[in-house]
Amino acid sequence: MTAGNGTPGTGIAGPAGGSAPGSNPIAPEEQAAVIIGSGAGGGTVAYELTKAGIPCVVLEAGPYLTQADYHNDEWAAFSQMAWLDMRTTSGTWRVATDFPNLPAWIVKAVGGSTTHWSGATPRFMDHEFRIKTVYGGLDGANLLDWPITLDELAPWYDKAEKAIGSSHRHGRPALPANNNYIVFANGAERVGYRYYATGPYGTNAEPYDGRPASIQDGFNFQGDKNGSKWSTLVREIPRALATGKLDLRPQCQAVKITHDAAGKVDAVEYLDKDGNLHRQAAKVVCVAGNTIESPRLLLMSASSLHPDGLANSSGQVGRNYMRHMTGSAYAVFDKPVRMHRGETMAGIIADEAKHDPSRGFAGGYYLETLSLGPAFLASFVEPGEWGRGFTDKMDAYERTAGLWLVGEDMPQESNRITLNRDVTDQWGLPVPDVHFDDHPNDVAMRQHAYAAADAIYGAVGALSVHRTPPYPSTHNLGSCRMSADPADGVVDKWGRAHDVPNLFVSDGSVMTSGAAANPTLTIVALAKRQADHIRTELAAGAL
Amino acid sequence: MPDSDPQTSTAPEALSPEQEATLLRMLRVAYPHDRFPDAPYVRTVKTIVDADTDGVVADGLAALNEAAGGDFGSLSESEATAVIERMSRTPFFKLVHATTVVALYDDHEVWDLLGYEGESFDKGGYLHRGFDDLDWLPKPRVEEFDGPPRVEIVQQAGTGTGSGS
Repeated sequence: MTAGNGTPGTGIAGPAGGSAPGSNPIAPEEQAAVIIGSGAGGGTVAYELTKAGIPCVVLEAGPYLTQADYHNDEWAAFSQMAWLDMRTTSGTWRVATDFPNLPAWIVKAVGGSTTHWSGATPRFMDHEFRIKTVYGGLDGANLLDWPITLDELAPWYDKAEKAIGSSHRHGRPALPANNNYIVFANGAERVGYRYYATGPYGTNAEPYDGRPASIQDGFNFQGDKNGSKWSTLVREIPRALATGKLDLRPQCQAVKITHDAAGKVDAVEYLDKDGNLHRQAAKVVCVAGNTIESPRLLLMSASSLHPDGLANSSGQVGRNYMRHMTGSAYAVFDKPVRMHRGETMAGIIADEAKHDPSRGFAGGYYLETLSLGPAFLASFVEPGEWGRGFTDKMDAYERTAGLWLVGEDMPQESNRITLNRDVTDQWGLPVPDVHFDDHPNDVAMRQHAYAAADAIYGAVGALSVHRTPPYPSTHNLGSCRMSADPADGVVDKWGRAHDVPNLFVSDGSVMTSGAAANPTLTIVALAKRQADHIRTELAAGAL
Repeated sequence: MPDSDPQTSTAPEALSPEQEATLLRMLRVAYPHDRFPDAPYVRTVKTIVDADTDGVVADGLAALNEAAGGDFGSLSESEATAVIERMSRTPFFKLVHATTVVALYDDHEVWDLLGYEGESFDKGGYLHRGFDDLDWLPKPRVEEFDGPPRVEIVQQAGTGTGSGS
């Protein structure tokens, strides 16, 4: 092979674009650890590496919003925080019909989607790390065991739970029951469920780690103005800045990772908010742009050495995209509920989070409290519906309780992120296309879960229960999966690219399978473990 | 939303009072809330007109009247619903629907009518304002179950007993 794949010529602007206040600027030619994204994965890696004295540049595509900037208003917050750059969809999933350019509901801002996450923090279960072994053959599913086990991850789960301040763990108290939970938990008890509680949940019930207790304002999806909810925005990013080793560059979108003639990555090219191209030299690169943007960036970084995309000799970059089996149930009662008051998702039922083939499907699911305001409920409760069937749901708003279904969906090679070369974004770059079809196992699990929701709410006197279809994806997983064998996946058990020794993927893209649990805790645990590995490898001169 | 470029954008054409009345009637039929006054619907009419950059509303209203045999406003609710149903695949209806589900239900008067209380942070959240005031069910346990741990793998019948992990 010849030279690397950097953009030739003089088009690259010299100075770095826009360091955030508190940054310690790093020169463009200094070989830093360059971290792309500042959410659960990127923000955590940045803090762990800077704490160890390693200079880091964090390239964050979105702006640096803080608590004072957030809105207690669903659409205003959505416009402010959500990733709204052009995307396309394909496949038979209903999102492709109802929200064709919004496959995912994730955040473009410092802190990434931790500023939007609900807060539920169950761990993955032991068998969910080895589903090929436990579930066996499932037609059409690309099952694979993880190259790590729950035992290996357990100490990192401990650290992640302490960082987040998960309720019900390590001495953190439970959140109190809010109105939506009172309905949910009473229903659970009456149908015979036992494993329900108001957590584990990553929002403070009492002051912890410099952050206040929840005031139950009901707007944690909208950034949490009170700062009671853990996010990398309130914890890891400011602490990384305080080390003096971080150069945080908001509104800087990575567009290409370059490599040298030897095949090691050597820089990241990125656009600042005005579209000027910059180059930051890198000793190591950590990609943490969430499961749509991370593979997109690798695919956009194709070169003569990596003709199908960087680190894609397996052909698995972008494949095995998972979004969880989801759905919601909204139940109407004859008395007030006022589900919008209080912590949005501080209620979890775990009884169905098990592998029990007698139910007719592999894997399991959780049920979790969920509330939307009228503004969002109108768009999402039954997209496209109008007439009295629709307005009856809205009229019952004050008497409505809600829950979310979240379970393991089966990885499939054909569910994938690709570059759509027919549609370009605001920079003229190919947009990501998100293709998704439910696996029959996902459909069977969803039907079971809807029936469970009917039973729960029926047991406490619901007049009706509406089965709301999946929203645009909030849990985006698996597009750069971990594998023991380089032929099966993109990264190894540390999240290190099989093909490129100093390239890491640090977000939920690395998940070999999706498990049933909300993924943020596991992303944080994996990122802490990965950062420790990178620190060790750097110290040994191995990167 | 950013201001449109005056050189390239099409200024939405104002509707006549008759056209506005037809659109208002259409909204009250398609999104019927009997206890709502006209005001939030009227505001939604204006938002639809502002969103009509492709100029489909005037023709859509004409088509609505035509499908109604001349005067959409004279139809009963069930007749009017049937007419709207026949037009529900048109760009006109899609614009009306996409705009209404956002604008009507983001209207603060509608929030009040539905019992939604909006912004709460500046009022101290709901911690002392009823986050747990539901009184028709008992207060449930908030701690995790303190009995045996959950069985995570249930063996098929005849292949052994369940085993936790």
